[in-house]
Amino acid sequence: MSTTAARRRPSAYRRRNAFLRQLRIWSGVATCVLFLLPIAWMVLTSLKQQRDIFTTPPTLFFTPTLETYINYLFNYDLPARMLNTVIVAGGASFISIVVGSMAGYALARIKLRGATTIGVIILLSRGVPPIALAVPMFLVARAMGLLDHHITLILAYCTFLIPYVMWLMRGFFKALPDELEEAAKIDGCSRFGAFFRIIVPISLPGLLSTLIFSIILAWEELLFALVLTNRAASTVPVVISGIAGDTVNGANWGALTAVGTMTVIPVVIFALLVQKWLIQGLADGATKG
Amino acid sequence: MSTTVLGTRTGTRRIPSRRVSRLTDLAARWGFVTPAAILLIATLAYPIGYTLYISFAAINLGTFSPDEWVGWDNYLTVFEDDRFWDSLWVTFVYLVFALPLQMFLGFLSAFLINADWKGRGVVRAAFIIPMVIAPVIAGGIWRMLLDPLWGIANYLLGIVGLGPIEWLADPFWAMFTIILIDTWRWTPFITLIASAALLSLPRDVFEAAAIDGANWWTTLWRVAMPLLVPVIAATFVVRWLGAVKMFDIALAATHGGPGRATSVVNLFIYEEAFRSLKFAESAAMSLIVLVITMVLTAIFLRGTRMLEERN
Repeated sequence: MSTTAARRRPSAYRRRNAFLRQLRIWSGVATCVLFLLPIAWMVLTSLKQQRDIFTTPPTLFFTPTLETYINYLFNYDLPARMLNTVIVAGGASFISIVVGSMAGYALARIKLRGATTIGVIILLSRGVPPIALAVPMFLVARAMGLLDHHITLILAYCTFLIPYVMWLMRGFFKALPDELEEAAKIDGCSRFGAFFRIIVPISLPGLLSTLIFSIILAWEELLFALVLTNRAASTVPVVISGIAGDTVNGANWGALTAVGTMTVIPVVIFALLVQKWLIQGLADGATKG
Repeated sequence: MSTTVLGTRTGTRRIPSRRVSRLTDLAARWGFVTPAAILLIATLAYPIGYTLYISFAAINLGTFSPDEWVGWDNYLTVFEDDRFWDSLWVTFVYLVFALPLQMFLGFLSAFLINADWKGRGVVRAAFIIPMVIAPVIAGGIWRMLLDPLWGIANYLLGIVGLGPIEWLADPFWAMFTIILIDTWRWTPFITLIASAALLSLPRDVFEAAAIDGANWWTTLWRVAMPLLVPVIAATFVVRWLGAVKMFDIALAATHGGPGRATSVVNLFIYEEAFRSLKFAESAAMSLIVLVITMVLTAIFLRGTRMLEERN
């Protein structure tokens, strides 16, 4: 009945629907392009010579050159800074995912006195302004001679990564079926055995996406890096903020865009490679939290 | 049969050591939380305690350590400092405009990119890219785009006969710029969450609504909204937790300027602490911010719970 009714609908209606569909698709594409334009302009500017950057009107046609890249690759110690960023982001994310997922598991699936209270405290602690931690950390690290060391920055990043991982993984673990631990217990597993042999393997997608987000969060962190490092352990965002905030030499757009592009490329490649888990993680983070 | 055998066996083995095994079990249970607890006490609780301590002290700039108890003096200084209240106001304005704008644009663009066609995967993947650009880079690029002399934004506006706009030199436009950059950087994040949430909506409910002859407005408000409320609330809380700490975009794009027009509270405290070396006052200010943030976060969480339970 209803299908024949639908088929008999006037063709104007169907044409309107097809038009709306096309409109929706192409507005989506346009939105996407709009969001990518600033990045495209950054990459374009990074390939310009100094005299092509400062033209009125801004030009699209120029002879591309890698001059700026070669000039600035070593001017800002970029390889060393990138290595620092990798060490710090990797170290902090690794510690946080191990420690945070264990704690998240306990909060989700083990009867602990005060688990709810702890859960609320953790979530609230995600709202602690980093500046409230940066000041004492700077003073204490200075007194202990720990400024400009990787480990200091790693520990500083744990302050926001551990609560983050705990919260996300708590959601994941809660959504698992109840019988898993009982089965593990019958098979003679201890609590730790059950966690590492059964829970972790089946939660691998969740763990992976949480790990990816932790790495990205640590990779782009600026405040702690500015405060706790100055040269030996300083990270990429510190370099960028130095270039962007350089009021003495004025706007060095060549440096900004070249360094920006160089540091963005690895993250973009990484993110596109793991996009499946990234999108899944975003979806779960919103619905399972 | 076999169960009784098993039962007696474990039974006889357990009786003498029941207390021990209960203790090991207790240790194992708490063993899961202990590492996180130790790390968080050392890196989170201790620094907050230290902040509280120095907020009541004077810092000796020779040794960078607190050397004198001054009671509430730092708090009184801060309460009388208009610049601090201004920075709280700036943060408030930024949050009030940026958060709803990003939520709206995020869900709208999610609806658009969810259209079912062969390019959907590519469009979605492209939305990941702005999301992984470090905010400090975003601030830098946008400063370049909005440059009054050489920037492309004013050139494009000029073509259609608008502007030039003093994006970064005028207090109003500088705040607009900060909100714009933040929205550019964070909307894709919301888009991707919303896109997944919209795709997971049950189809039959919408088919039922269509058969009942509901128009799109009714469908949106009466069918889609109630189903989406938990996701919207959760996304809002996540975004709030990020936005309230915003610092890097303001630092890179405007450095709080012109004047202090875009000096969000985190940037202001940072400058006070590490440029003016007023550590004690900064500690007092950051604790005030901490309390405000905590209270608001608690309220939002409470609201989220209530919205979820209502459904």
